[in-house]
Amino acid sequence: MDSQLSQYLPVLMLAAVAVAATAGMMILSMMLGKLGRRSKAKDTAYECGMIPVGNPTPRLSMRFYLVAMLFILFDIEVIFLYPWAVVYRRFLEHPAMANPILFSMVSFLGVLLVGYLYALKKRAFEWRN
Amino acid sequence: MTGVGYSDLLAALAPETALVLAAVAVLFVDMGLMRSAPLRQRFLTACAVAGLGCLVTLGILASSGAHLRFLDGVLVVDSLTQWVKVFLVVLTLFTAGISAQAEFTEHVGEYFALVLLATVGMMFLVSTEEILMIFVSLELTSLSLYVLAALDKRTRHASEAALKYFLFGSVAAAFTLFGLSLVYGLSGATNLTGIAAGLRAHRSDPLLAVAVVMVIMGFGFKVAVVPFHLWAPDAYEGAPVPAAALIASGSKVASFFVLAKIAVLGFAGVEGSGAWGQLRAGWLPVLAVLAVGSMVLGNLTAIAQGHLRRLLAYSAIAHAGYVLLGLMAMGYPSQRSAALAAVLYYVATYGLTTVGAFGVASVIERVLGNGRIDALAGLSRRSPLLALCLMVFLLSLAGIPPLAGFFGKFGLFTAAMGADPAGLGLLWLVGIAIAMSTVSLYYYLRVLKQAYVVAGDEEASRIVVPWTDRLVLIAAAVGVFLLGALPELLLGPLARAIAGGNGF
Amino acid sequence: MGELARYLVLAALLFGIGLAGVLTRRNAIVVLIGIELMLNAANLNFIAFWRHGPHPEALTGVMFVLFAIAIAAAEAAVGLALVIAVYRHYRTTNLDQIEEMKG
Repeated sequence: MDSQLSQYLPVLMLAAVAVAATAGMMILSMMLGKLGRRSKAKDTAYECGMIPVGNPTPRLSMRFYLVAMLFILFDIEVIFLYPWAVVYRRFLEHPAMANPILFSMVSFLGVLLVGYLYALKKRAFEWRN
Repeated sequence: MTGVGYSDLLAALAPETALVLAAVAVLFVDMGLMRSAPLRQRFLTACAVAGLGCLVTLGILASSGAHLRFLDGVLVVDSLTQWVKVFLVVLTLFTAGISAQAEFTEHVGEYFALVLLATVGMMFLVSTEEILMIFVSLELTSLSLYVLAALDKRTRHASEAALKYFLFGSVAAAFTLFGLSLVYGLSGATNLTGIAAGLRAHRSDPLLAVAVVMVIMGFGFKVAVVPFHLWAPDAYEGAPVPAAALIASGSKVASFFVLAKIAVLGFAGVEGSGAWGQLRAGWLPVLAVLAVGSMVLGNLTAIAQGHLRRLLAYSAIAHAGYVLLGLMAMGYPSQRSAALAAVLYYVATYGLTTVGAFGVASVIERVLGNGRIDALAGLSRRSPLLALCLMVFLLSLAGIPPLAGFFGKFGLFTAAMGADPAGLGLLWLVGIAIAMSTVSLYYYLRVLKQAYVVAGDEEASRIVVPWTDRLVLIAAAVGVFLLGALPELLLGPLARAIAGGNGF
Repeated sequence: MGELARYLVLAALLFGIGLAGVLTRRNAIVVLIGIELMLNAANLNFIAFWRHGPHPEALTGVMFVLFAIAIAAAEAAVGLALVIAVYRHYRTTNLDQIEEMKG
């Protein structure tokens, strides 16, 4: 029974390695981080010798995050378009495949379009309220 | 392409297509036509559209005899998957029904669209035997459910619950994906039968153990078994009630079905053994550990709960443990089809019962403003219907004959006992399960005592149950009673569908 | 160590770092980053297994990764939206302070 259960050893090892690696990194960064002497001047942002003015992380409008999220979602669809475009010509050489490959992408873009229309109708793209 | 044309594909996917169209319709109807209508009316209209979509889908499911196996299992449609889809759509219909009187959000169209899209995800989840499709549809379901859980923006608890649900769920998804990547690497295949064939050569590969454990961990989160259950109580308590009902019912049904498929078809040959005294590495002992933990911890923690939905969450964890017994029985080929029928009967009736219990909770919370068990005092006088429905659902969860919960448990336990006739087999697990079921009777009865025996405020007025809720609650209660009294109604068709399938 | 094994070790490390980030960091955004690391570790596995597998001409591994990337993006969008929703109520993204439900 022991020899059989020892097959789970790798799971434990993976966990141990993960814990050790991260703990090591955190401890190292703590130790090394204390080496240099810190001062207020060192901690301020370097702005070409000028004294920085204002809060470095200004609060952004909620719209900014909304547009950013929409950008991520529509932008990532390129990873489906790109491989499709690469093989498109090769598929056209087989008459039986020409229609299906076009139809697949058109239906995919149709679904995207519904999402786009929805975002448009919800006025997600209008910067001003 | 194996001679399957687009028209065949469309015919096989007609139910899913209908639901997606219903989701788009409900979105644009609410946004276009109902924009200035009062909130109540918007909820009723959107519920009607969504309900109509569900009914059309049910009609398509009932009338089509589509059989399809597309691209080595990317899409599998047979009478068994159709049956599971019927369960899912019925549960969604009931979920939509108990949302009709809700007013927790301004985003009515989005709410119903997400409910329908989550259901589409579940339907794809049950009709595929390919790990990429499993992952994609799992995420479609999960992402919809995360947003649903957060839709109640009035309370901070909803957003807290949703964030926890999301963080746990995504970590689980990462585990699943990593485990699947190892499975893919070891077997070189992405469809479950190919994986089983490929894994045979690597039976003693250490990576295989990591892969099996990670995949089961990922799905363990989805079905909320100990020790991956931490999100469940918060999500069940904080999310809007109908959303919690869907999380607790439909997504459980789909997740258990696909977990069974992965374990039985994909990990065939690496079962190991979970029998007492002869544990051997494989997926059976992993499930055994999870089952024991869930049954013991779920039932014992439920005793201490003061919030009705939190109690239901811990009871759900315990029930997940019982279902794992059935999955384990499926690891023994002699018992496979009987155990599969038992598991499906159990999760279907359990889903029905849970939706009903959440329906009662939703009416009570809307009227009383809080869902604590203490608040139930005097319920039998204020609303005999609610109290009666609550009794039917809770007694079914406890496993009292002649309700469906009793027969479900009975089927699971006999399947598990018959799994290994030579040795003691899974008897030790069945013993724990029966002992823990008696414990569960205590906390269910505690709730019923509050509703029936404890006298509440004499001045309290009667609770008016709107007709939509009444319809759903009575339908669910009658269903629980009928399926318990005449289990053959469901078991018969299930057994025929299993016998006609591909051995699963 | 073979080339495949090197990729696998790198992926396992990446997964471990992501998991440690999820478990130790209290900021919800950093936890999200950890989750993305874990997903990408799995992607690295897929690519390595595909490249060194018996059938590199079948593009299954690559396809899996394309879908996984798209899903990870969707997950990030939903996650950020949820963090914003929580921030509106609690005025913080520290997970230790978003802890009101107990039991």
